[in-house]
Amino acid sequence: MTFRNRQEKQSGSLSGKKQEYDFDDKKKEFIVQFSDKKDDTLSLIVLAVLTFSAFVTRFWMINHPDQVVFDEVHFGKFASFYLRREYYFDVHPPLAKLMLAGMGWLLGYDGHFEFDNIGDDYITNDVPYVGFRALPATLGALFVPLTYMIMKESGYPIVTSLFAAGLVLFDNALICQTRLILLDSMLVFFMLCTFYCYIRFYKLRLREFSNEWYIWLVACGVSLGLTLSVKMVGLFTVATIGYAVLNDLWNLLDINRGLSMTQFKKHFFVRALGLIVVPLSIYLFWFYIHFLVLSKSGAGDGFMSPAFQETLEGNVMSLQSYVFLHSHLARYPLRYDDGRISSAGQQVTGYPFDDINNHWRIIPAEGFFDTSRPENDTIYHGDHILLEHINTKTILLTHDVASPTMPTNQEFTTIAANDTSRYNETVFQILINDGDEDTVWKTKSSHFRLIHYDTNVALWTHKKNLPEWDTENLEPKPLKHIPFYKKFFELQRLMISHNSGLTKPHPYSSGPINWPFLVRGISFWTLGDKKQQIYLLGNPFTWWISIGSIAVLVGVVAADLISRRRGVQPIPDPVRNRLYNSAGFFSMAWLFHYVPFFLMGRSLFLHHYLPGLICSYLVAAAVFQFMFISSINYPVSVGLPYKSTSKIVLKAKVDYIAKICCTVLLSIAGIMFIYFAPMTYGTPGLEPDDISHRQWLETWDFHFQTKKG
Amino acid sequence: MLKQRKPTPKTKEEYDNVPLEPVDLDENGKVYKPFKYHGNKYLGYWYQYKEYIIPLIFTFLSFWTRLYLISYSKIVVWDEAHFGKFASHYLKREFYFDVHPPLGKMIVGLSGYLAGYNGSFDFGSGSAYPEHVNYSFMRVFLATFGAWMVPLAYFTAIELDFSQQSVFLVTLMVLFDSMLLFFTFTTVFFLTKFHNQRNNPFSLEWVVWLLLTGLSIGCVTSVKWVGLFVTALVGLYTIEDLWEKFGDLSMPKTVYIQHWIARIGGLIILPLLVYMLSFAIHFAILHNSGPGDAQMSSLFQAGLHGNDFSENPFELAYGSKFTLKNMGYGGGLLHSHIQTYPSGSEQQQITCYHHKDSNNDWVVHKTREAPAGFGNETGEPEIEFVKDGDTIRLIHANTGRNLHSHQVKAPVTKSQWEVSCYGNLTIGDKNDYWEIEILDDMFKKTERIHSLTSTLRFKHHVLGCYLRAGNAVLPQWGFKQIEVTCDKRDNPKDTYTHWNIEHHWNDKLPPGGRSNYKSRFLHDFWHLNVAMYTSNNALVPDADKEDILASTPLQWPIVEVGLRMCSWADDVVKFYLLGNPFVWWSGTASLAIFIFVLAYYIVRRQRQYNDFSPAQWDYFLYVGKICGVGWLLHYIPFCIMGRVTYLHHYFPALYFSILMAGFVLDHFTSTCNSKIKNVIFGICYLIITGIFLYFKDISFGMDYPSKEYKDRKWLSTWNIVD
Repeated sequence: MTFRNRQEKQSGSLSGKKQEYDFDDKKKEFIVQFSDKKDDTLSLIVLAVLTFSAFVTRFWMINHPDQVVFDEVHFGKFASFYLRREYYFDVHPPLAKLMLAGMGWLLGYDGHFEFDNIGDDYITNDVPYVGFRALPATLGALFVPLTYMIMKESGYPIVTSLFAAGLVLFDNALICQTRLILLDSMLVFFMLCTFYCYIRFYKLRLREFSNEWYIWLVACGVSLGLTLSVKMVGLFTVATIGYAVLNDLWNLLDINRGLSMTQFKKHFFVRALGLIVVPLSIYLFWFYIHFLVLSKSGAGDGFMSPAFQETLEGNVMSLQSYVFLHSHLARYPLRYDDGRISSAGQQVTGYPFDDINNHWRIIPAEGFFDTSRPENDTIYHGDHILLEHINTKTILLTHDVASPTMPTNQEFTTIAANDTSRYNETVFQILINDGDEDTVWKTKSSHFRLIHYDTNVALWTHKKNLPEWDTENLEPKPLKHIPFYKKFFELQRLMISHNSGLTKPHPYSSGPINWPFLVRGISFWTLGDKKQQIYLLGNPFTWWISIGSIAVLVGVVAADLISRRRGVQPIPDPVRNRLYNSAGFFSMAWLFHYVPFFLMGRSLFLHHYLPGLICSYLVAAAVFQFMFISSINYPVSVGLPYKSTSKIVLKAKVDYIAKICCTVLLSIAGIMFIYFAPMTYGTPGLEPDDISHRQWLETWDFHFQTKKG
Repeated sequence: MLKQRKPTPKTKEEYDNVPLEPVDLDENGKVYKPFKYHGNKYLGYWYQYKEYIIPLIFTFLSFWTRLYLISYSKIVVWDEAHFGKFASHYLKREFYFDVHPPLGKMIVGLSGYLAGYNGSFDFGSGSAYPEHVNYSFMRVFLATFGAWMVPLAYFTAIELDFSQQSVFLVTLMVLFDSMLLFFTFTTVFFLTKFHNQRNNPFSLEWVVWLLLTGLSIGCVTSVKWVGLFVTALVGLYTIEDLWEKFGDLSMPKTVYIQHWIARIGGLIILPLLVYMLSFAIHFAILHNSGPGDAQMSSLFQAGLHGNDFSENPFELAYGSKFTLKNMGYGGGLLHSHIQTYPSGSEQQQITCYHHKDSNNDWVVHKTREAPAGFGNETGEPEIEFVKDGDTIRLIHANTGRNLHSHQVKAPVTKSQWEVSCYGNLTIGDKNDYWEIEILDDMFKKTERIHSLTSTLRFKHHVLGCYLRAGNAVLPQWGFKQIEVTCDKRDNPKDTYTHWNIEHHWNDKLPPGGRSNYKSRFLHDFWHLNVAMYTSNNALVPDADKEDILASTPLQWPIVEVGLRMCSWADDVVKFYLLGNPFVWWSGTASLAIFIFVLAYYIVRRQRQYNDFSPAQWDYFLYVGKICGVGWLLHYIPFCIMGRVTYLHHYFPALYFSILMAGFVLDHFTSTCNSKIKNVIFGICYLIITGIFLYFKDISFGMDYPSKEYKDRKWLSTWNIVD
């Protein structure tokens, strides 16, 4: 519904102050001055105050706690890896972590700290954590002026824009999440930049292909690329902008717009270039930097293919597969859940990490080998071998006993090396993929199958990756180089598969349906002796306002559609158009940043809602405007009165009711913010009774509250 | 491609006045076709009666393809194992439980009844049918439903105004694709019939087709809940229709309200009644106790023959032995066994479990401090009834331990207290005491506690919490039974804290008699539906186990997989479930093509090229919506659902893609001259028939080793040959 044909018709009921405009000879258009100087100054003052308050709320006590909090465990660690240039693997794209690493580099931090556990001390470990936190906190503080500017550029009066920015300013969840070493601050910041640039771009629609128009288009593309490079959630922002652009193009295609097909194609391709090619290049660029920086072998090696690992300095060679064939002393349980019986032999598993238990030695199978062959001969396609597990001195074996998870497949186990009674069950034949008799078994690069001699089955792991091979006495090979695009696609595939594989239940994960209603928060950090805790919880007042306004918007739109269907027009056209276009855009942004989570299988957390939350604040402000002001600033687009048929300029009439409402609502939000601030900042510690007092919903599981029942 | 422009009509009137090709309409509003006399007598008959002859031929062919060699395989094939079993239950009139509504299985039961089958065979998968089971008749009876789909498809295509050739195409595709669903077909057919009566609202025909649509919806949902998808299609159609009418300012409000009432009656109330009726019949037939008892409320079970609940003494007295049933949906019986909790108190486990055995038996005792009475085992003969609000102890009959709770966190639901079994008759503490509360009674609420009809809660005497069995499942150490906890919240509406006495034994009391125990149909109906819903959701794929039979929705439209319906040994008659590849592929392709064509026309309309008259455009959208949206509604839900999906779940969607194929081909050939059109369609008929014959053995049964079918394995993913 957004960005529908913007041929606003003038409705007589709406009185607007006509303003003077001059004709600019050079640009052949009217110059409109629809905001007076007094407003501009006031707006600047408001903006400055908002920005100042935002920095105060974000930076207050930023040095507390001086311990690792929640996911700082991950993202601090990744920053350390960048600084040590050791390869790691993560499901998120690299930009935000690179920014953190860059911050660390500026602070002269060398990446020595591992960020292993929540609660590890920063001071004793000599980590410049305040500097690290300053980066997300700065960006987090900038949400507030950005929100203000987005609203202002969308044509809302100061009081409405202030309302939106105030909601963001006083949100405990946003503050809590953005003053720690986490990624969401960068994500939401770039998302807001994208919206801002797109609105600036769209407002120039009547000066198409002008320099300014191009600049904002490219700026929008760049911010979009940056958003995408922080988290995959950036795809939702892409969808939002994509939706708006398609809508816009659809209107341009309308014959009444008077564009020829050539002109339309130009519109189309310029947008495709600015909003697809530019963001993609930026996305690729950060991965290029990522691979450039991480040149050494590190914790993430095991995730990657052997070919990839060979490009890393100092990578260890050992028997490995996509999962390593692994064995350890633990034995299979004698009886499984479904009543089947196992051999209770030693477990053989696939294990994705390098480990001494992954080492196996090849022994030629007696009676199959041509004895004339030299002792250290290379192994050929079709040779028969035994595999000895080095650590436990046992030999790999399979037999006609069902495997633990798949009754139709055979179980693998090992037996003592000196047990010859089951010799036949331990012999395997090597079949190299695409190999013939002369093919030599090569380390790492050969894909092969191990065929069991006795029962003619193949060694197989779930994901259908067959083991890759390496022996111990290999000489170190020179580093290889594989093209960037191959590395890139390999990493993308792994990121997606691991992201959807993050299904491990977490005590504080929550379903999307709970988020807007703030059913539950996340405990980030606790300090028992001082009863201090950081608990991610939104400002209940602002959260419930935002979801409430979405309900109001739905009601208004439904009522409007129904009455229009019966020929009644309850809302004046200019107000209606603004409501549909602007609030429509914001609510689509909210939908795109919220609904897709319902389709995700991975475990989800409250902080995944933060991008959607900001969008819902924009909706809340638009609804506020509709309810309390109900007139609009018009035109918003640059140069409109000249092009449009009605040369009318409107200015929203803000009466004292709107101002009072805004003040009252924001004051309540502010009080609420202060009330819950101890949970947000982790200080001061509260008495159990005070904590229980703040537990408005039974599902808010704070620590240290009074024991009940 | 966007070059030529026709003069652009600006207003609606101008649109309507765009001249169309002249068409003669007869008095019924149908296209007038003058009757052609023909010199040849037989050709004359053909022209005169071809509207009847053609569908007759198709119906005949249909019956032939469905019934040919139907009794060839003498063993229980695929899901016959399930549905045959259910038929046996109907014939033996034993209550069973299944995740699907009963209509379909009742029809299977009916087929068995007509075949004179007595319900004694257990339909073990892959076992041979014994002499007394007339399985051929049962199969023939059910195949008849399949056979009628062909004429239905024929007439639906006619109602959708497809050209003659296209009607043939659709019919052939359905004919040679052997498995589709009868009631989905009838629903679509009646809906199109109803649509074509849209200009004569409230006429007799209009009402008849509306009611038949409703009836079909009722039937299709009574067979499987998948029927809700076609219901959604009808619903969307209706909503759009009513929205259109809402904008028609010339329509009087009373007429508009009548439209609403007609649709509410025909499309909501009628189907609901049909659905409930099917359950009513289901309950009426199954009046014997059977394997599904435990899923139902105790009161319902009391009404089944062969169940001894009606022997229960009516009022509970101290010393009575009884079982306790949780009244939440899918609730089981309070259970204990000698295994202990691995963590927490490490005392004996208390669970909730559906299986009936003596570990569910409890004996009610007085508190240890209570004055000596019968409950204290002093042998005093006087009967003392348990009253509302009494403080009691419950002793597990098999192990002699007390039902006990304490301030130890429950193993799964950490926010509640653990319930365990502790001590014995004399050893124990006040944590063994529970206060019994009567919340409600279906018979008549009195001070005393009644078997089956009283709704009870058990409040812990010390902690004040309530005995509860939610739907949390214990891990393997608890045998995946339901966790029992003590809930600190006092919520009288929480049905998981409600219990009733199911079995009740007390030699000193007289039996209660059946008259005291009557359940209400609506209650049973609702209860059973919720239980079905819960078990349906539990059919989730186990990530660790690879199910060779299951397939994913993405594989269906491209015929990537087939399904082996029985053992694949060389000497068995084998059936392989595989679509006619041409039909399936062209159906999928036509859906994609339609999207592109639609986008193309929409873009052209935005540039105001008028390829269609408004009526033609409406028709184009209408067919697109029925076929395209119908397909989406029957396909997308399977992608989202978490449960295990099989190839046959795609059949209803397939029908819509077949209709779409007919429509798309018709659309593209509408400007060709009739000869070319005949040739194009003729080729399609030949391919479909040819491929059907080429693959016929997989549906009629392969009695030779599957290796001989090796060259028919077109895709490497078809596991037709090892």
